[in-house]
Amino acid sequence: MEVNKKEESMAVSGFLLKERVLRQGAEARVYRASFLGRSSVVKERFSKKYRHPVLDRRLSDRRTLQEVRCILRCRRAGIPTPAVYFVDYTSHCIFMEDIVDSVTVRDHIASTQRRSDPSSALEQLVPLAAKVGRVLAQMHQEDVVHGDLTTSNMLLRKSQDPAELGLVLIDFGLSSVSALPEDKGVDLYVLEKAFLSTHPNTERLFQELLNSYVASSKKSSPVIKKLDEVRLRGRKRSMVG
Amino acid sequence: MHTSHRLELYPEQTVTQLLFKCVKNAKELRKSVMEGKIDAAFINPKMLVDPFQVLVAANKAVHLQTIGKMKTRSLYSEVIFNLSPTNNISEAFKRFGISDTDDSVLVVLITTEGESQVLADVVEKVDGQQIPVAELSTLNDVTQIKKLYKVTPQEEKLGSLLDSVVCRMAIKDVL
Ligand SMILES: Nc1ncnc2c1ncn2[C@@H]1O[C@H](COP(=O)(O)O)[C@@H](O)[C@H]1O
Repeated sequence: MEVNKKEESMAVSGFLLKERVLRQGAEARVYRASFLGRSSVVKERFSKKYRHPVLDRRLSDRRTLQEVRCILRCRRAGIPTPAVYFVDYTSHCIFMEDIVDSVTVRDHIASTQRRSDPSSALEQLVPLAAKVGRVLAQMHQEDVVHGDLTTSNMLLRKSQDPAELGLVLIDFGLSSVSALPEDKGVDLYVLEKAFLSTHPNTERLFQELLNSYVASSKKSSPVIKKLDEVRLRGRKRSMVG
Repeated sequence: MHTSHRLELYPEQTVTQLLFKCVKNAKELRKSVMEGKIDAAFINPKMLVDPFQVLVAANKAVHLQTIGKMKTRSLYSEVIFNLSPTNNISEAFKRFGISDTDDSVLVVLITTEGESQVLADVVEKVDGQQIPVAELSTLNDVTQIKKLYKVTPQEEKLGSLLDSVVCRMAIKDVL
């Protein structure tokens, strides 16, 4: 059985060796590969040599589980995330739907800012910010906390009616299920930090996002309160450090 | 008429699907399978959205067989079990296995290269009309599928029923 297990991990990683790497992260590699005749995206969580092997394995097991569970939880609630096709828990690989013809929200914002003058870019991006706010409110209402919200972890489908923004959330590798306003507030704080540092001069845009979040959620006020607290803590910490 | 797909992760294995309608000997076929006279999965196509759904089940079955973690006793029963949204084995067979009164059937074969004889054997044994596998959608029941896989109305808005079904199959063991 042990021998078989080793062979198997090699079957999947041997297959991935030949495929195109989309992104090499600190914890995972993302590939694009044909799987069962379909274009798919494969996320491989690799082991960290500096971690104790047993602990490392347990962590990878748990993250892989959390990721697929949160994806299904979101999909059930109508929040667009890539469908999962296959999970290999021995090599910690998730095979999922390739959102073809999409750009990251990050690239979309950057190119809009490049194309237009600042105030017109902002105006063009308000509907997108509002959409992101709505989808995140919906996700938090399902008690899914993403854990790594950035504009790179949101895709925008290209080949659709431009008025209907096809937003897809990806990378649930650090996600968890929590009803605590604190966790949701931190989720928004992480996004705020990433958003404002990636996209200069977008404070107003992010405010639109938050306004939409608040308008879409009945349970937003304790979350926003926590967000304010975390911001304050963050500021204090940076003053000391 | 049939479709074949070589598994990307296990290239020595090929999954072949054959579809038949107007089948007159379902009872006999079921008996042959039970007695081990035919080595194939005989599936009632009513709950199948697309051949891709069967590929997902077959790939998972081969994978679990390789790592020694199958939940059932044979590769073909594992294919049937993997199609089901629940972890209840007898329910899976009831829903997806062929029953005596069925008049259509999807046959699944998982073979290594050069086993074309198996295919010919199956075609010979089924007393029915073979049709292209792509015509699966004329034999299924979308309303029943949505109910069985518990696809919520919100989820339906995401688009593909096939993706919703497959996603449940892929994750059911960790729910
Ligand atoms: N399901 C997917 N469909 C299309 N592109 C994806 C998908 N998942 C990830 N990507 C792309 O791969 C990059 C890295 O993915 P990730 O590490 O999950 O953030 C993303 O920024 C996307 O450009």
